[in-house]
Amino acid sequence: MKNGMILLIAVCLGLILFGGGCGKTESPEGEPGGRTIGMSQCNLGEPWRVQMNADVRRAAEAHPNLRVIFKDAQNDTLKQQAQMEEFISAGVDLIIISPKEAAPLTPVVAQAYAKGIPVLVLDRRVLGDQYTCFIGADNKKIGKAAGQWIVDTLGGQGKVVELKGLMTSTPGQDRHTGFREGIEGSDLEIIFEADMKWLEPNARKEMESALARFPQIDLVYAHNDPGAHGAYLAAKAAGREQDILFVGIDGLPQEGQAYVSQGVLAASFEYPTGGKEAIETALKILAGQPVEKEITLTSRVFTQDTIDQGGQRLTE
Amino acid sequence: MADKLTQKNRMPEWITSPTSRALAALIVVFVLGLLFHAEGAFYKWGTHRDMLRAVSVYGILACGMTLVIITAGIDLSVGSVLALTAVLFALTTIHWQWPFWLAILFCLAVGGVCGGFSGYLIGRFRIQPFIATLAMMVFARGVAKWVSGGQKISTAVQQPDGTYQYVSVPDIFTLINAKIFGGNLTVVTVILLACILISWILLTRLRQGRYMLAIGGNEQAAVLSGVPVNPIKILAYGMAGLFSAVAGICQASQELQGDPEAGVAYELSAIAMVVIGGTSLQGGRGSLWLTLIGILTIGYLEKILSINAVGEDKRLMLTGVIIIAAVLLQKNK
Repeated sequence: MKNGMILLIAVCLGLILFGGGCGKTESPEGEPGGRTIGMSQCNLGEPWRVQMNADVRRAAEAHPNLRVIFKDAQNDTLKQQAQMEEFISAGVDLIIISPKEAAPLTPVVAQAYAKGIPVLVLDRRVLGDQYTCFIGADNKKIGKAAGQWIVDTLGGQGKVVELKGLMTSTPGQDRHTGFREGIEGSDLEIIFEADMKWLEPNARKEMESALARFPQIDLVYAHNDPGAHGAYLAAKAAGREQDILFVGIDGLPQEGQAYVSQGVLAASFEYPTGGKEAIETALKILAGQPVEKEITLTSRVFTQDTIDQGGQRLTE
Repeated sequence: MADKLTQKNRMPEWITSPTSRALAALIVVFVLGLLFHAEGAFYKWGTHRDMLRAVSVYGILACGMTLVIITAGIDLSVGSVLALTAVLFALTTIHWQWPFWLAILFCLAVGGVCGGFSGYLIGRFRIQPFIATLAMMVFARGVAKWVSGGQKISTAVQQPDGTYQYVSVPDIFTLINAKIFGGNLTVVTVILLACILISWILLTRLRQGRYMLAIGGNEQAAVLSGVPVNPIKILAYGMAGLFSAVAGICQASQELQGDPEAGVAYELSAIAMVVIGGTSLQGGRGSLWLTLIGILTIGYLEKILSINAVGEDKRLMLTGVIIIAAVLLQKNK
């Protein structure tokens, strides 16, 4: 019986490894004349990062000579270091890394760069300048743009609830300080703020508390779209969703953009993944063309008026 | 023995009973709410209704956890099974358009099988509950991510060409997410009460419940007295899995989506609720009433911290202090 069980487990393991693995892993050599890109993603547990990989994959599919090997570090810095080393020893033509954190991953990025492998750093930075190109968006600017949009929309005054992401994370801090810069000088009043750790159920709980305390709330600014959606659900349950505007950040097609077109959110500010731009830049590098050391992605804002035209680009 | 006698002489039994001890912690927290009422928010029934809503999913998990803990076990997989069933419920109702009763039955079956399988491993192969359910926790999370493709399953349905089509929310979601009794109670809270009732009947009115207590009290003795230990363990963990599925369905209905990342660390909240109520981790004793008190204690604590907009750092510190204080109240000196 015990042996049977072990056999069953072994068969399951085999199925998972081979069945699940076949479609995704591709040999580093690729077709003759083809180029191989290694992509190390720090954590596929977040929809936004799943979207980043999807954007990379979609952009790469348009170029049959490109092969992309995806690796997921599962939010583990040491695992990501190991993946970078694997890419270096496999001799890939280019590496795209979205690092979990700067300091511990800087040496391994520099090591690849020193070996002549171009390295594109996506979204989060590494230290120093031993990499080929950094592509990312600026959370502070997006937060500031959201703040200014809110000031304009409310006519410079009103009572606002801020539902913060994890305040120990840089995106959370930047979306907070940027927003406060954006509303500076206006008569907006932040009547309630709470940490919802990026999670929708938490946002709903916190919003329920805000609703219980304040008879008048004009707008909810949440650091991500699920947070704004959670706040909307709380307001809807209290029958007050018509009196409140909801603004979120991220603008993923299936979340923020969907909520805006459904009339749930008044606005969602895109935090672009840079997946498409990474492949465009990678092609340039592989073709021997010069690229800029730093590419800042422009964000879009989706509102009821602009959602059908694919949003509106934010200008400085 | 002598100690116990003197203690009994010192204090009447109704004060030293587990229920009173558990109630003491709840009352302390409740009084905190009366003192820090956040401009009267604590005096409104809506606040209490919302607290009951927010705590319901955790509470449903705590029901199953109580049964498992009474058999001297632990189930770490409840949060992952919640995520798996939430994803499956969203997938079957939104994407595959199954009738709601079929989707519910399917999810309950998946939850029951996940839990029952853990129970089978624990009973038949004598794998420690911590290890077996840890494995199930990792495995179920993996399945949840696999069937969902790592994305939330929502009403935005991706078409083959990459664009999104928005479909309406299934009626069953709206129904579970609704309020009843003139808007004074949420449906999920009623579901929680039903789960408590079912577990209570199982534990106190059915033979199987007595067996659970017997196994937790002394497994050797239970075996020798002819208790069917393995089937009862499968039942206990199966019930925990089943309740996880109920919680998953409630979670999906409230979020209007199935999130494969839902329920992370929910098992810890469920365990805390059971333990604060006074059910012993050593097994053999405990009740659903104690768990209900534990659920309310944690629920009120979180609500009071939330309406007062206490910062995350202080919230975590205070929650730790209250858990220790409540458990100390349970201790026989």
